Amino acid sequence: MSKGDQILDVRNIHMRFSSKGITVKAVTDVSFPVHEGETIGIVGESGCGKTTLGRCIVRAYEPSEGSVMYTTSEGELIDFLKIDKQTMKKVRKEIQMIFQDPYSSLDPRMTVFDIIKEPIVANYPKMPKAEIEQKVMDIAAKVGLNTSYLKRYPHAFSGGQRQRIGIARALVLNPRIIVCDEAVSALDVSIQAQVINLLHDLQKEFGLTYLFISHDLSVVEYISDKVGVMYLGKMVEFAPTKNLFEHPMHPYTESLLSAVPIADPTVQNERIPLEGEIPNPANPPSGCFFHTRCRYCTEKCKNAVPEYVEMEPEHYVACHRAQELKLRGFKYDE
Amino acid sequence: MNQNDTIIEVKDLKINIKIDEGTLTAVRGVNFEIKKGETLGLVGESGCGKSLTSKAILGINDKKCKAEGEIIFDADDLGKVNLLALNPRGKEIRSVRGKQISMIFQEPMVAFSPMYTIGNQINEATLLHITKDKKKAKEISLEVMRKVGIANAEKRYDQYPHEFSGGMLQRALIAMALVCNPKLLIADEPTTALDVTIQAQILELMKELQKDFGMSILFITHDLGTVAKMCDRVAVMYLGKIVESAPAVEIYKNPQHPYTQGLIGSVHKIGTKTQERLFSIEGTVPLALNLPAGCGFYDRCHKRIEGVCNVYAPELVEVGGEHKIACFACTGCKGGECK
Amino acid sequence: MKMALFKKKIAKDESYYLASQWQLMWRKLKKHKLARFSLTLLIVLYIGALFADFFAPYGLEEFSSLYKNTAPTKVYWKDENGEWSRPYVHKLKKVNDKKTWTVIVTEDPSEKYYLDFFVEGIEYKLLGFIPCDTHLYGLVNEQGEVDRTARINIFGADSTGACIFSRILFGGRVSLTIPFVSAAISFVLGILLGGISGYFGGVVDNVIQRIIEVLSAIPSIPLWMALSAAIPAGISVSAMYLYITIILSFIGWTGLARVVRGKFIALRKEDFVMAAKLAGVSDFKIIVKHLVPGFLSYLIVNLTLGIPGSILGETSMSYLGLGMKAPATSWGVLLKETEDLVSVAQCPWKMIPLAFVVITVLAFNFLGDGLRDAADPYK
Repeated sequence: MSKGDQILDVRNIHMRFSSKGITVKAVTDVSFPVHEGETIGIVGESGCGKTTLGRCIVRAYEPSEGSVMYTTSEGELIDFLKIDKQTMKKVRKEIQMIFQDPYSSLDPRMTVFDIIKEPIVANYPKMPKAEIEQKVMDIAAKVGLNTSYLKRYPHAFSGGQRQRIGIARALVLNPRIIVCDEAVSALDVSIQAQVINLLHDLQKEFGLTYLFISHDLSVVEYISDKVGVMYLGKMVEFAPTKNLFEHPMHPYTESLLSAVPIADPTVQNERIPLEGEIPNPANPPSGCFFHTRCRYCTEKCKNAVPEYVEMEPEHYVACHRAQELKLRGFKYDE
Repeated sequence: MNQNDTIIEVKDLKINIKIDEGTLTAVRGVNFEIKKGETLGLVGESGCGKSLTSKAILGINDKKCKAEGEIIFDADDLGKVNLLALNPRGKEIRSVRGKQISMIFQEPMVAFSPMYTIGNQINEATLLHITKDKKKAKEISLEVMRKVGIANAEKRYDQYPHEFSGGMLQRALIAMALVCNPKLLIADEPTTALDVTIQAQILELMKELQKDFGMSILFITHDLGTVAKMCDRVAVMYLGKIVESAPAVEIYKNPQHPYTQGLIGSVHKIGTKTQERLFSIEGTVPLALNLPAGCGFYDRCHKRIEGVCNVYAPELVEVGGEHKIACFACTGCKGGECK
Repeated sequence: MKMALFKKKIAKDESYYLASQWQLMWRKLKKHKLARFSLTLLIVLYIGALFADFFAPYGLEEFSSLYKNTAPTKVYWKDENGEWSRPYVHKLKKVNDKKTWTVIVTEDPSEKYYLDFFVEGIEYKLLGFIPCDTHLYGLVNEQGEVDRTARINIFGADSTGACIFSRILFGGRVSLTIPFVSAAISFVLGILLGGISGYFGGVVDNVIQRIIEVLSAIPSIPLWMALSAAIPAGISVSAMYLYITIILSFIGWTGLARVVRGKFIALRKEDFVMAAKLAGVSDFKIIVKHLVPGFLSYLIVNLTLGIPGSILGETSMSYLGLGMKAPATSWGVLLKETEDLVSVAQCPWKMIPLAFVVITVLAFNFLGDGLRDAADPYK
């Protein structure tokens, strides 16, 4: 399989949580393709369902509907959500995850060595000890951990180093896809840059595919090839990064972009205000979910659900007026 | 500059924290002043002592923290007083705290008690500092709630915190802070817990209110984007010291200290997809325990001068136009001579 | 010199980084002064119970009707001339009170019996297998020979004339171990049922939770009465011991099962558990390697805080006559002697076992407090 082929096809994922008779649609009908070696950024505000989507894709949650078509390393096309246990055992290790909180994602009762070792032992129970040790050492060195510290417990490490341990654990099985759920959000700015650079280097070296979930638009813009914007459980726009940031086609994306604080006091971009508040996901509005807060709202938007269509090549958007509206994005250099 | 314009002046503030392993010097001699109507941004990463500094102003630090130095505040009735010299539970500091200096916190959800209505909690400050008349207090509270953009204030007044969204709660918190018309507002990471769109709203609101009320703001954050939007002057803190301070425009255009440069360089600016790798500062912030002599940034600095930076501790030196830097490599003066 | 100090500091840091959860807990516990003191106290009490045969001057069968209800034996440090002397006591003798014409027991000052250490006494088996007859202290007569007719009861004697101090030590064997045995049973039941409840959820969870609710809704004393009515009469002391333990743990496990269930559910949502799942680690291994170690420390805290309850449980059951009965000895049985006001008023020393109960309960509570603070060393 060569670089750039489609590796994952997320199709019509729905995720409903119900408790006490109330059903909340955390994710509604999300589809997008992922190509090998790409980084897909998923952005949105808290409660938009981006984390749930990520967890559905790695099958930490069982989605209510939909499929994740995955092309395995052997070139087989399977539905990751419906495979049997036997295949799952083989494929599981190819899709891994990096977590947001570097504190709760490492078991404080295990040494770093044991944490990184755990996935190997679970997948290759017969591997000799020396080989396991070698593998752990190699991967620890790769992510920039001092290998003489492996016998330490996680409490000996700072947030940034802990995140490196988490990355090492995710990488030790040689996965092809990694879902990074807010992987740098909890870190300090200077440490964020270190981890982003590390993720970048690892991608180059191993040809990894990232699904980068974050609320931080500037990080996503930096790291992603394509970006999907989510609102109230729906994917409202999906496009190549530059395309999306320069020419957003969904009014929500436009507002979101205008709200990003720029680290330059001379640039005072005018914000496009969002009216009202995010509606209750248990009781979403009719028609277009965004119509209650959209400044371009028409009668049609209130009644008909807009379709999620490829408006321009590779630029998907779910808005009735996407064609006619001229929305404002960022000005790119050059 | 007219001396009378200064609202607060922090002089050589040091804060020591007693922990099991010894004494941790979290703040190591911080100096700054805030003028009337000005916003000073205190920027730094976690553990640099920025929150401790702000809490020292209000005297609400933990008992384990010991503050030294002077915090001179221009109080209405007391004149210029050293807040640190006041009894932390005395009458004087209480007339300053909450009334003349108030604070908003990072987590609005934690700042409110879930047991009382929002109106009740805003009223508390009003009743304490402004009027004893309950009816009048409610009037004042409602007016402030309207001012911070809480629609339908009468109805919201009787609601409980869980009925508010994060953004609304932060507005309510701001209302509570502003109800006594403070001279200085301390905002400790007020938007970090909020989404970008809400964050933008809150920042704009704070700016507008600053104009209306004419107060000064001490804005504490780690986010350089919000600082650019909010502040007139910026002070960058590292390991309990201010390493650079300058007007906001200057600090972004012409950062001098290697740490400031690193901080600005490690944040990607949308629309500039030229750099292959983000600029990053090596290593991590050391624990402020048994710090070696010399510059605290020495181990991570790419401009360090051996024999100078690890021997002498740099002081803030003005390099023109209110731009001060504490770095031997930037100011060109070698530690020994400057002393 | 300075360098050496510096190196020591680094070595200390490294050991901190390499410290496992239990080592960190121990470090934190050591800083809790009251807990440390309580721990020492408990160790002393348990050693006392374990080597009761040695520390106690008299065996359980050694009682003397002469000494019935007598006050703590008076120990003299000075002889009749007011000179410092080796500590000694006098024997008791019966005399007729000339005024009331009743027989009273009084000291017989004609002979001195000296206090001596490591004296020969009743034979016993140390730790159950080492034949031995040395006791920590005892009395010798003026010729230096062991004389069993004189007695030293430092805490006085009970209604049979047995030494209360000895009985406290022997009673500790029962009163101090029942909680542990019943804790062990609660532990197993609690982990098993709580774990099942938390892991499977749904109907199983519901059923177990309802059972727990019903069990904990029954007031404990009536429940004890009902259960002890089921104990056949005239059984041996050791069988009785077993039954009491089971009765006590029958109530103890419910609280524990709840803790286990809650912790289980909380830990299952932790990111590191999800990470293990995604890495393909089996459910069983996740439970054993991540979940159980995760709540074990909390369980220990809970058990420690639960032990005082069992001690008091045993004491009150025995006191009410539902548990151990004389001739068996436990602290509850000893306290049974203080049932009536007259005996308390006339023989206040019979209350001394109560002090042991109170001290033990407090020590366990303080220790549990310290453990609770130390239970999560990662905060």
